[in-house]
Amino acid sequence: MAAAAAGSLRRAGWRLWRGRPVVRCQLYPPQRAFHASAALRRASDEHKKEPSASSSQQQFDSHPSDRQPEQEHQGPRPSYTGQGGQESEDYESEEQLQHRILTAALEFVPEHGWTAEAIAEGAKTLGLSVAAAGMFHNDGSELILHFVSQCNTKLSELLEQEQKLVQLGETEKKTTDQFLRDAVEARLRMLIPYIEKWPQALSILLLPHNIPSSLNLLTSMIDDIWHYAGDQSTDFNWYTRRAVLTGIYNTTELVMMQDSSPDFEETWRFLENRVADAMNMGNTAKQVQSTGEALVQGLMGAAVTIKNLAGLNQRR
Amino acid sequence: MAAAPPVLRRSLGRCRPLCGGAGLGGGWRPPARGASARRCSTGVTPDGINKVVVDRIIRVDHAGEYGANRIYAGQMAVLGRSAVGPVIQQMWNQEKDHLKKFNELMVAYRVRPTVLLPFWNVAGFVLGAGSALLGKKGAMACTVAVEESISDHYNSQIRTLMEEDPEKYRELLQIIKQFRDDEREHHDIGLEHNAESAPAYSVLKIAIQLGCKAAIFLSERI
Repeated sequence: MAAAAAGSLRRAGWRLWRGRPVVRCQLYPPQRAFHASAALRRASDEHKKEPSASSSQQQFDSHPSDRQPEQEHQGPRPSYTGQGGQESEDYESEEQLQHRILTAALEFVPEHGWTAEAIAEGAKTLGLSVAAAGMFHNDGSELILHFVSQCNTKLSELLEQEQKLVQLGETEKKTTDQFLRDAVEARLRMLIPYIEKWPQALSILLLPHNIPSSLNLLTSMIDDIWHYAGDQSTDFNWYTRRAVLTGIYNTTELVMMQDSSPDFEETWRFLENRVADAMNMGNTAKQVQSTGEALVQGLMGAAVTIKNLAGLNQRR
Repeated sequence: MAAAPPVLRRSLGRCRPLCGGAGLGGGWRPPARGASARRCSTGVTPDGINKVVVDRIIRVDHAGEYGANRIYAGQMAVLGRSAVGPVIQQMWNQEKDHLKKFNELMVAYRVRPTVLLPFWNVAGFVLGAGSALLGKKGAMACTVAVEESISDHYNSQIRTLMEEDPEKYRELLQIIKQFRDDEREHHDIGLEHNAESAPAYSVLKIAIQLGCKAAIFLSERI
């Protein structure tokens, strides 16, 4: 009796949620699906069902027909975040929920790898159903991207703090090569807990559908490092510096995968050599340029001499 | 059971923030919080500046001033010792100031310069030198065409920023207005020095302005 009442309440809530007439509900796949989602919903919004349900109901009543097609696209849709993306304090958006699940899933990565299993375990620790892993792609892409994004944020904060200390005069300003070495080392050290499964992550990040996001994350991280290193170039150097640092970072990461020395000493030594090479490259470029200029001046001088000898330089 | 995940995704797909862009089925988004402006997925920094718009504006203006610099350098290389030399030199000095200001803005707003800078370097010099080889009037015609393009372009940028929020972008607006007035002045100086009696003036002007429009379009994006 109670079970039946609970079941019908759940169904009513589900229908309210979907804004669909009673009859159409039969089209949805078996009970399992919406039980799981209802459980998820319950677990994640325990105290806000009432106030948000009423507002959401109004929104749904006004667009019952365009619910279905709209969901497949990224178009504007009624969201619980209210006007201007302001989020009411006690309501958690889907994005925040996803981030919480992914963060919790990270501790299961060493055991399960970057897979949906790890996400499912993470969801379990938060008290959600295992089916929450269905929110994400099967190949664990979102988990890896979330991790990379988190590491980048941590790196930015670290560099920001260091910059503050230098501004307050509490630490010495580092030389560029030392700064770059420390920044790349700090960022790569964040991979150490997951180093066993990181090669798998790298290969997933190279999948075509992940490349835009992973490239975006990589470029913004490199740009951050250069920004805090004090790069103020506004010409083509902007690109060459970032390209060089990206190369250094990627090769060092690959070396780290193969490194078995204590505390990755070999990797840091490799990094030091690459950064030194890069600094030398800058000097070499300057030398080439000044040699080129000297050559041009020499040729101009030779041309003027020849014109003088041929008598072409006289003023008539 | 394959039908279940899409259902779940749909049912939970309510509170997606209004960010565009392709993504995975679930649509992974970087977190919208974070100190760096670049990290924000909606392109609006914490203090409300529309990063995408400001990025483009500074990038294209920087490229424009860089190009103008090179044009005057080319003109000076040919006509430096002629009667209009001092006039061109003075206009060139003002362009150098403009470029310096945009360099500062570029660093302050963390904008990336356009990849085409080496190309504008050469193209600008060639245009300046080429127009100067047509004589003093040719050089002035080139100046008139370029400065007219640039002041129209600055005007449309001022309109864009005013539509967004005049208060938020007050400093940027002031700078662009000042520069627009300077470019207008260069345009008038060019007309004073008989630009209109240059050989094939209308053809030259149309060709140069078309080139400027293409340069602006590319520099905003690339």
